[in-house]
Amino acid sequence: MEVTAGSVSPRTETHEDTPGQVVHRHSVTVRLTHWAAFLAIVVLTMSGLQIFNAAPYLDASDINNPAHRVLSLDGDQATGTAVGTTTIFGHTFTTTHVLGYTDDGMGGETVRGFPGWITFPGYQDLAAGRRWHFFFAWMFVLAGLVYFIVGFARGELQLLILRPSDLPKLWPMQAYYLHLRKEKPEHGKYNPLQKAGYTAMLFLLAPFVVLTGLALAPGFDAIANPLIWLLGGRQFARTWHFVSMLALIGFFCGHVFLVVSTGFINNMRSMTLGTYRLGPHEGTGP
Amino acid sequence: MKRKLFVASTMAAALTGCAKVTNSLAGWDALNPVLDSVNPLDHALIGTRGSAKLYKPSDVTVDYPVNSLDTPHQAEYLAFLEDNFATYRLPITGLVDHPQTFTLRQLRALTTLDEITRHDCVEGWSVVGAWRGVALGSLLKLVRPKPQARYVIMYSYDHDGDGTQFYGSLDLTQAAHPQTMLALDLNGKPIDAAHGAPVRLRIPTQLGYKSTKWIRNIELAADFTHVFGGQGGYWEDQGYAWYAGI
Repeated sequence: MEVTAGSVSPRTETHEDTPGQVVHRHSVTVRLTHWAAFLAIVVLTMSGLQIFNAAPYLDASDINNPAHRVLSLDGDQATGTAVGTTTIFGHTFTTTHVLGYTDDGMGGETVRGFPGWITFPGYQDLAAGRRWHFFFAWMFVLAGLVYFIVGFARGELQLLILRPSDLPKLWPMQAYYLHLRKEKPEHGKYNPLQKAGYTAMLFLLAPFVVLTGLALAPGFDAIANPLIWLLGGRQFARTWHFVSMLALIGFFCGHVFLVVSTGFINNMRSMTLGTYRLGPHEGTGP
Repeated sequence: MKRKLFVASTMAAALTGCAKVTNSLAGWDALNPVLDSVNPLDHALIGTRGSAKLYKPSDVTVDYPVNSLDTPHQAEYLAFLEDNFATYRLPITGLVDHPQTFTLRQLRALTTLDEITRHDCVEGWSVVGAWRGVALGSLLKLVRPKPQARYVIMYSYDHDGDGTQFYGSLDLTQAAHPQTMLALDLNGKPIDAAHGAPVRLRIPTQLGYKSTKWIRNIELAADFTHVFGGQGGYWEDQGYAWYAGI
């Protein structure tokens, strides 16, 4: 796209952009699917914890087996003083008022895994949790599909994929961020570390969280027996689904940290209005 | 110290507010049809395909758990426990050309399925049981459903604390799945009262709440909207999805 000097509308990024220039960074499709996925992940996490609370333990086995218990949230209020405990790989921690015996979502406290403020809904209601979880699971999958199809067709997604040629550039980039290197390595629209993060998220983590969720469906198991076997069995799949949720939260935290630390307003503008002001050393080719 | 208390109480208020928002969203009944609009997609995507995994005798869970529902305590059911179900009869009626009533002896004579399968509870746990019984599909062939019949509705002897009768339903495809059975035996013995004696459904390709226990009679129908809460089952009337392959 040719743009003459003094043009009002920001142009799409090319490798001829200069630092400080305002460019059109994210398409409407990217912005819409980004926020749809964000909303979906929030509701899926909260309703997922609601569903988890119905059986607040995870096993690394096909059928439930306390000998292979990875995580267990327990509570006891029978003895007068209520106690909540969290057991991870056999190590028990007292977590009263936080996990195991905690906020019931209705202003009181009770024996339950995760507290009401982090589950959807706050009170214990498995049917409602499933209802919201499955609706937003579809939203997550559809947002992902639209993002992938449109992104590939337009060539936007290709800029984000980590390539073998990026591998030697990973350490210099990391060294720069760790202040071990003064000069910022040159990169395109996305730097090699961003590419690594987004590639892992989009091509590994997101498909894995969907697949491990599907693996919990008995009807899907009947179609995909070998997949369940690969995951280590049915209850193990439930554990993997939980672990992939934790990994997603981890990605989310890193993502938000970087969004804030690299120019919050500029980044938020690029993901809402679409426009982005290039920083030094930015926009010099893919 | 005051500052600490202020921070703590502000955080507590924020967290309570979070539950208030999610509680009122979940309690907003008008949203349910929107949320449930994906259920047909689940049904279409996963459907009733393939076969549930078959397990080995050594995989069988020793203490098969009993969940949520109490054993029926109505007089007519208690009478069965007295005579060991000698007077039990299973009528299959409704939109069929040849309605029939089966005795337990007749059902035993028709028994062909002997399968060790996993029971996936909606709560998230699973157990393995050795089930023996009659393929529901073979019984349907005997009663010959009419062309307009679409659902198999199973009524239970059990009632909840409010006196609401327990029931469930399958479509004809799910009912005819080769692993769907009217079970008579669990782990080598006739099913006991707690696990649904004398006849219960077992559908290992769906969640446990579809496997109606203590079956009293079976009806074939064109739809189930006229039955009790109209959602096709006791748990469905409580908000769980009719299609429980997910």
